[in-house]
Amino acid sequence: MTPIIEFKQVSKAFDDKIVIDHLDLTIQKGEIFVLVGPSGSGKTTTLKMINALSEPTDGDIYFKEKRIKDYNIQKMRWQMGYVLQQIALFPTMDVKQNIEVIPEMLGWSKKDRSEAVDRLLKQVQLDPEQYRHRLPKALSGGEQQRIGILRALAANPEVILMDEPFSALDPISRNALQELVLDLHKELGTTIIFVTHNMKEAIKLGTRIAVMNKGKIVQCDTPEVIIAQPKTAFVKTFFEETGEDEAKLVKVADLVAMGYYRKEIDERLEKINGNTILSDTYALFAQHAALTIVENGQAVGTLNHQDVFAFLSRETQVNEA
Amino acid sequence: MMNTFLDTLNERKGELVTAVFEHLTLSIMALLIAIVIAVPLAIWLVNHKRAAEVGLQITSVLQTIPSLALLGLLIPFVGIGTPPALIALVIYALLPIFQNTYIGLSEIDPSIEEAAVAFGMSRMRRLIKVELPIALPVIISGIRTALVLIIGTATLAALIGAGGLGSFILLGIDRNAPALTLIGAIGSALLAIIFSTLIRYLQHLKPRYTIITLAALIFVIGGISFSQSGIFAPNTIRIAGKLGSEPDILINMYKEMIEQEDPDLQVELEPNFGKTSFLFSALDNDQVDIYPEFTGTVLESLVDVPEDVDSQSLDSDQTYQEAVTLLNDQFDMTLLKPMAYQNTYALAVKKEFAEENDLTTISDLKKIESQVKAGFTLEFIDRTDGYAGIQDKYGLDFPSVQSMEPALRYQAINNGDINLLDAYSTDSELQQYGLVILEDDQELFPPYQGAPLMKTAFADEHPEVVTALEKLAGQITEEQMSEMNYQVNVEGKQPAEVAKAFLLDQGLLKEGE
Repeated sequence: MTPIIEFKQVSKAFDDKIVIDHLDLTIQKGEIFVLVGPSGSGKTTTLKMINALSEPTDGDIYFKEKRIKDYNIQKMRWQMGYVLQQIALFPTMDVKQNIEVIPEMLGWSKKDRSEAVDRLLKQVQLDPEQYRHRLPKALSGGEQQRIGILRALAANPEVILMDEPFSALDPISRNALQELVLDLHKELGTTIIFVTHNMKEAIKLGTRIAVMNKGKIVQCDTPEVIIAQPKTAFVKTFFEETGEDEAKLVKVADLVAMGYYRKEIDERLEKINGNTILSDTYALFAQHAALTIVENGQAVGTLNHQDVFAFLSRETQVNEA
Repeated sequence: MMNTFLDTLNERKGELVTAVFEHLTLSIMALLIAIVIAVPLAIWLVNHKRAAEVGLQITSVLQTIPSLALLGLLIPFVGIGTPPALIALVIYALLPIFQNTYIGLSEIDPSIEEAAVAFGMSRMRRLIKVELPIALPVIISGIRTALVLIIGTATLAALIGAGGLGSFILLGIDRNAPALTLIGAIGSALLAIIFSTLIRYLQHLKPRYTIITLAALIFVIGGISFSQSGIFAPNTIRIAGKLGSEPDILINMYKEMIEQEDPDLQVELEPNFGKTSFLFSALDNDQVDIYPEFTGTVLESLVDVPEDVDSQSLDSDQTYQEAVTLLNDQFDMTLLKPMAYQNTYALAVKKEFAEENDLTTISDLKKIESQVKAGFTLEFIDRTDGYAGIQDKYGLDFPSVQSMEPALRYQAINNGDINLLDAYSTDSELQQYGLVILEDDQELFPPYQGAPLMKTAFADEHPEVVTALEKLAGQITEEQMSEMNYQVNVEGKQPAEVAKAFLLDQGLLKEGE
C-alpha cells in the first residue's frame, strides 16, 4: 500500500472559527476514500485543501510525498479530477469541449482528444454521435453529472475529488451514478476521494470511510467495521439517521419512470398524484388494492400492491449486491 | 405633407448618403473606442468590488451631463468638428458597456468559477474560455444599448460641425422645413434599429464570424469615409457658412466665382456648419479655409478691441478698417472687401401691433414697456450691442424676455407667445410674417457688412481666390439679399440655384462656364 495523500496536523480557521482541528489522515493509492459527516463537519474543506482551493492555516498536506504548497498548483490540478455537487459544466461549451478541458491544456492533439471523448462517452453509455455536440442545458441532471465525471476523468488523473456529487440528483440517477463510479473504479483503479453527508452512500462506495464531526475525524475504518463497531454514539446515531429507507425518497412518478406500474386506467379507482412520496402511499394501500396515478392532471396508469413490492424488492437486491 | 417629404428626400439624396456615412463613422468609431475602454476596465474591476462601485458611480455621473453642455465644455480643449463629438459619444457609451460587462462577469455562478480554478485554468484562460463567453449575451446587450444611445446623440454632432444626420434636423428647424427634420430623425432612428438588429444577429454567430463581420463593416465604412474626407484631393478649398439661408447662398456664390476664376480648383461647401465661435475656431484650426463673416461681429465677438477705440461710434468704413487691422494683428487673418448690404440687428413687431400702439422707433417701446413679451436669440441677449445695449442706451427693461432659436421666434410671434423679437435686417421672415422693423433712433446697432474671412497665409497662397471673391465687393443690396432669402426659405429653392441665378443676372458669372 502506497500513501498518495497525507494530512499531517492540518488545521484550518476562517477568521476565528476553527473548521479543521489538527487533522491527521492518510489516503492510500487506489482506494475510494469517503469523507462523511453532517454539514459543517469540515469534510468539504478537507477535500478542497487537497486541490488547494482552500489553504490550511497550519500543518502540511502531501501529494505523492511532496508538500502541496511546493507544487505548481495549476499543473498539479491537471492531475486531480474534480466533480462538484453543482455539476458546474461550462454552459457555453458543448459536451466534447467540456470533457477535453484538461487534455487541451495538456497539449493533446486534436485526434487524441476526439478519440478520448468518444471512448469516455461510450464508457458511460452515452452515444458519442448523439451527445458530442450537445450543450449542457440540453442534458438531464443525471446525464450532466456523467459528463461532469468524464470531465474529471479525461486526462487520466491520479486522484479524483468528488464533493457531494450526487446529492442534487433524483434517487434513480443517483443510484445509477453510484454504480458507474464503482464500475469506473474497478476498471481504472484511480484513487477517489468522495465527500457525502449520506451514510448509506458512504457504505455503498467506500473502501474506507472517515466519519467527521466538528473538524475532527471520529472514526476511520472499512464500512464493515463502522457498521459492526461504531466507535462513538455519534457514529451510531449518524448512521441510523441518514441510512434512510429509499421509500422515503422515491416518488410514485419514479416508479412509473422505471416501469413499476400498469398502463390500464380505471377511472373508478381512488386517485394518487405522481409527486407523492412512496412511503406516504402505504396508508392508502391499507384501504385500496389499486390506485390511479395522476401526473399533471392526467391519469397515466394504475399502481397496485404488487408493483410497490416489486420495486422495493428490486431496491433490496441492489443494496445487497 | 407626404409629397413634400418625398420631394425633399429625392432632392437631397446625395447629401443624405454623405450624412448617413458621417453619422455611422462617428457612431461606430465612438462605439469601438468605448468598448476598448469599458470592457477591459470592467474585467479588471470585477475582482475589486469597491473600485468597481466607484467606476459605476463615475460613469453614471458622466451619463447625466447634458450632451449640449458636454460638447460646449470640450470645445476649448479639442476645438470643434469630429474630436469633441467623438469624445462626448464615447463618454455616453461607457456606462451601459461598463455596467453590463461588470454585471455579466460578476453574476457568473461561483461554482463554475470554482470548477475553472479546480481544473487548473490560468486567469487568462478562465477569462477567455469561460467567463467572457458566459457574460457575452449581457455584454452584447450593453453594447446595443450604447449604440442606440450613440446614434441618437450623434445628431447633436451637427451643432459643432461634425456633420451627420443632425445637419438635416438643424437645417429643418432653421428653415422651418419639417420634411428635413423628419428625414434626419427617421434616418437616425432607422440606423439605430438596423444596427441594433445586426448586433443581435451577430451575437448568435460563432465568435469567429462575428469578428470577421465587424472587421468588414469597419473596413467598408472607414474606407468610404476616408475617401470622402478629401485627403486624396489636396486642391480642395473648404468653404463653410453659419446656420441659415443667407450664408448658404453666399458660399454658393463664392464657389461659383472661384471655379470660374480657376476651373482646376475643387471647392467643397460646408453649409450650416454652426455658430460664429465654432466657425471661427474651425478657420483658426485650418478645418475650413474660408467663411463669410460680418464686420460688426468681428469687432464685437472675435477680436480684442483696444480700449481707446469705441467700436459703437464707428461708421461702416471705419468698422471694416478696424476689423481688418485687428484680425491681421491678432490672428493673421484677412477679411476681404465687404458686400454692399448691411445685415444688422433690428427689433421687429407685428404690423398690427405697431399700428395699435403707434410704434415706429425703439424709443416708442417705452410707452408700453410693461406689455412687452420679448423673444430674443441667446446671442442677442448676451451682446453689448444687443439687449444689454437696449437696456443701457434706451433705458428699456422688458418684464418678459425668453431666449429662443432664431427660427422659432418667428413662429412664436405669429402664435402671439411673444410680441417683440430681434431680427436681421435681411431676414425673409419679416415679409413672410408681416413684421415691421422699429427704427434704431439712438444708433445702437453697429454696422454689419458681410465679407469673406480667411487666413492671411491662405490668401497669399491663393491669389486667384482673392481675385475671384473681390469681384463680389460692393455687390448685393439689402433688398436683393432679402429677396434671395425669401426664395430659399419660403419658396423652397436651392441656395445653389438662387446664387447662380443672381450672379448670372448681375453679369458676374458668364453663362456656359
